[in-house]
Amino acid sequence: MGKFLRTGVWILAAVVGAFALAGIALRRGEPVNSAWLVTAAVCFYLAAYRFYSAFISAKVMALDDRRATPAERLRNGHDFEPTNKWIVFGHHFAAIAGPGPLVGPTLAAQFGYLPGALWIILGVVIGGAVQDFVILFASVRRDGKSLGQMAREEIGRVGGGIALLTVLLIMIILLAVIGLVVVNALKGSPWGTFTIAATMPIAVFMGLYLRFWRPGRVLEVSLIGFLLVVASIFAGGWVAHHAVFGSWFTLGGMALAVALIIYGYAASALPVWLLLAPRDYLSTFVKLGVVLLLGLGVLIVRPDLQMPALTQFTDGTGPIFAGKIFPFCFITIACGAISGFHALISSGTTPKLIARESHVRQVGYGAMLLESFVAIMALVAACALEPGVFFAVNSPAGIVGATPEAATATITSWGFPVTADQMSSLARHVGEETLFYRTGGAPSLALGMAHIFSRIAGNEAVLRFWYHFAIMFEALFILTVIDAGTRVGRFMLQDFLGHLWKPLGRTSWMPSVLLTSALIVAAWGYFLVQGVLDPLGGINSLWPLFGIANQLLAAVALCVATTILIKMHGAKYMWITTLPLAWLVTVTFAGAWQKIFSNAPRVGFLAQARLLEAGPQTAQTKQLIFNNRLDAVVCGIFLVLVAAILADSIRVWAGILRGTREVRSFEAPFVPSQLEAEELG
Amino acid sequence: MIRAWIRFWQTLLAILRELADERAYQRHLLVHGRAPSGEEWRRFSEERLRQKYQRPRCC
Repeated sequence: MGKFLRTGVWILAAVVGAFALAGIALRRGEPVNSAWLVTAAVCFYLAAYRFYSAFISAKVMALDDRRATPAERLRNGHDFEPTNKWIVFGHHFAAIAGPGPLVGPTLAAQFGYLPGALWIILGVVIGGAVQDFVILFASVRRDGKSLGQMAREEIGRVGGGIALLTVLLIMIILLAVIGLVVVNALKGSPWGTFTIAATMPIAVFMGLYLRFWRPGRVLEVSLIGFLLVVASIFAGGWVAHHAVFGSWFTLGGMALAVALIIYGYAASALPVWLLLAPRDYLSTFVKLGVVLLLGLGVLIVRPDLQMPALTQFTDGTGPIFAGKIFPFCFITIACGAISGFHALISSGTTPKLIARESHVRQVGYGAMLLESFVAIMALVAACALEPGVFFAVNSPAGIVGATPEAATATITSWGFPVTADQMSSLARHVGEETLFYRTGGAPSLALGMAHIFSRIAGNEAVLRFWYHFAIMFEALFILTVIDAGTRVGRFMLQDFLGHLWKPLGRTSWMPSVLLTSALIVAAWGYFLVQGVLDPLGGINSLWPLFGIANQLLAAVALCVATTILIKMHGAKYMWITTLPLAWLVTVTFAGAWQKIFSNAPRVGFLAQARLLEAGPQTAQTKQLIFNNRLDAVVCGIFLVLVAAILADSIRVWAGILRGTREVRSFEAPFVPSQLEAEELG
Repeated sequence: MIRAWIRFWQTLLAILRELADERAYQRHLLVHGRAPSGEEWRRFSEERLRQKYQRPRCC
């Protein structure tokens, strides 16, 4: 293609992107078609990938294909293996795409579609993709080292210790909050509960099949598992209407929370091949398939966005979670815009598979753009619902009223008309008793997805299948994150306790396995139960805590990245990472400060505790007061951690820039690559 | 055009096989010069899964 033609294409893409963005930002008072949003996002991603990531890879990183990567130098056929870039891309994307990019944008839709959309598009281009890209590059240049190791080497022991502690804390809050999403999606839903319960024996069957009957046939058994899960969705419809079985699987929030806690403990203590691994394989393939299906669905159906661009809840009075658009929109949507957890993946398996340095750009920057696109799809699915229905599904009873009539009257008074009959009819269509008070995002996202899917394949008659398919998909991979996360948390705790008493660190010693599993499950289980008991729905407290923690980890990653850039180029290119870092620190500090000290009881934990103290004291009230104070302490710990890592990093940066600190590079020495192109087939 | 589709499907299948650890198993057999068997798969997957579930999972 000639230079003029190429330039013309990029100018056209920029104009179309700007026009589409202006369309979604400026139009008011009528529904906007989602095609505008998708077009704006895609044009931005393309331009950012073509120009910004190219600038970073050429000028800042100076990626060099003549340099052997750790995959080549340390090749061992296990974790270090030079791999085709598309395979690494798929592997990396599957690892970074969890429930976050689906749930966060759905919850943030309470502000309207515009704030979330802008943050997802701009946040990923300037922040999230840059973080993943730079950390992946740094790890590739350092023999595939982890974020914790790099933090310890580049910043100091404090940074390394904080990184480790942060990961453990985030894990606990993350597991609790996504557990709550599942509980709220399944409570009072025998169909959904049966389907999810059925995935457990299916996973065990897959585990036995893989271990004893057809060893190594993972794709084969995953296909069988998928067919069984689809069959269980159909069976769920029958079970839900069965006089006896229906009541067995109709569980309340607390019963589901207890079941989840028992499940998490069992999954952590059982042999990994029996339940966790087969379930993980299945969940990965279902996740990729559904994401692809959702992308295609949105492109084909192009639904109108019924949600206004901005709602009145930007003032902080939102029913799903309280707090103003700044900082809470930017905390609620982490994955999809910027997520600290990605830095762990970018410094985990992925750098050990990168065959050539130039692949880092496609994998690090490109995969994050794709995840951002998934977040846009989730936002579209949620905003395509009528706002009245969206708020009826997601608002807790404590805010809108405990009866369908009261809830719909409250929501209608906000300017989002909805009736109890309409909700009842919708619930019947999707095979549920009720859709009220399902705070957490999963059911509303499932509704949005079901509407999109049913317009492609079938009609309203199959809406119930697609709704339960979407619920199954969300719950399946959320549960996989829960069981894998509990196991990882157990290993981290054993690693720590092993320093106090050696046998506790042995991962094969059963008493230690049982004890540490119990401790981890108790930690996230406590927060989960707290969320279930919370009259404000739990998400109001837990999701911001999780968002703050996740952004804190991103701040740690960006501190490491900035230190590395300063060591490479002095102050010249440090803006690339300090720009998103400054934003994240501002957001995290503002968010954490408000969650602790705000005088508004729905926002500030301490204000909520004071309000409860002023009322009648029951055992439950006392528990709620304690929970609010505990959340304030956890939030305070996050604040202190951010401050500590930031102060330590600034001290190191100042020393390097002033020349008072030795600039020590931890990069592996240059070794010429001997890799042949055909080795990467 | 047909060649491009074949290439696309091959890459897609390779991604799925990588995610399924099947390619890693093939590499394991190659590195250790062993033939596929139930015993070998169990040995490989135990080590593979032990490493896999010691790493934090993304949200």
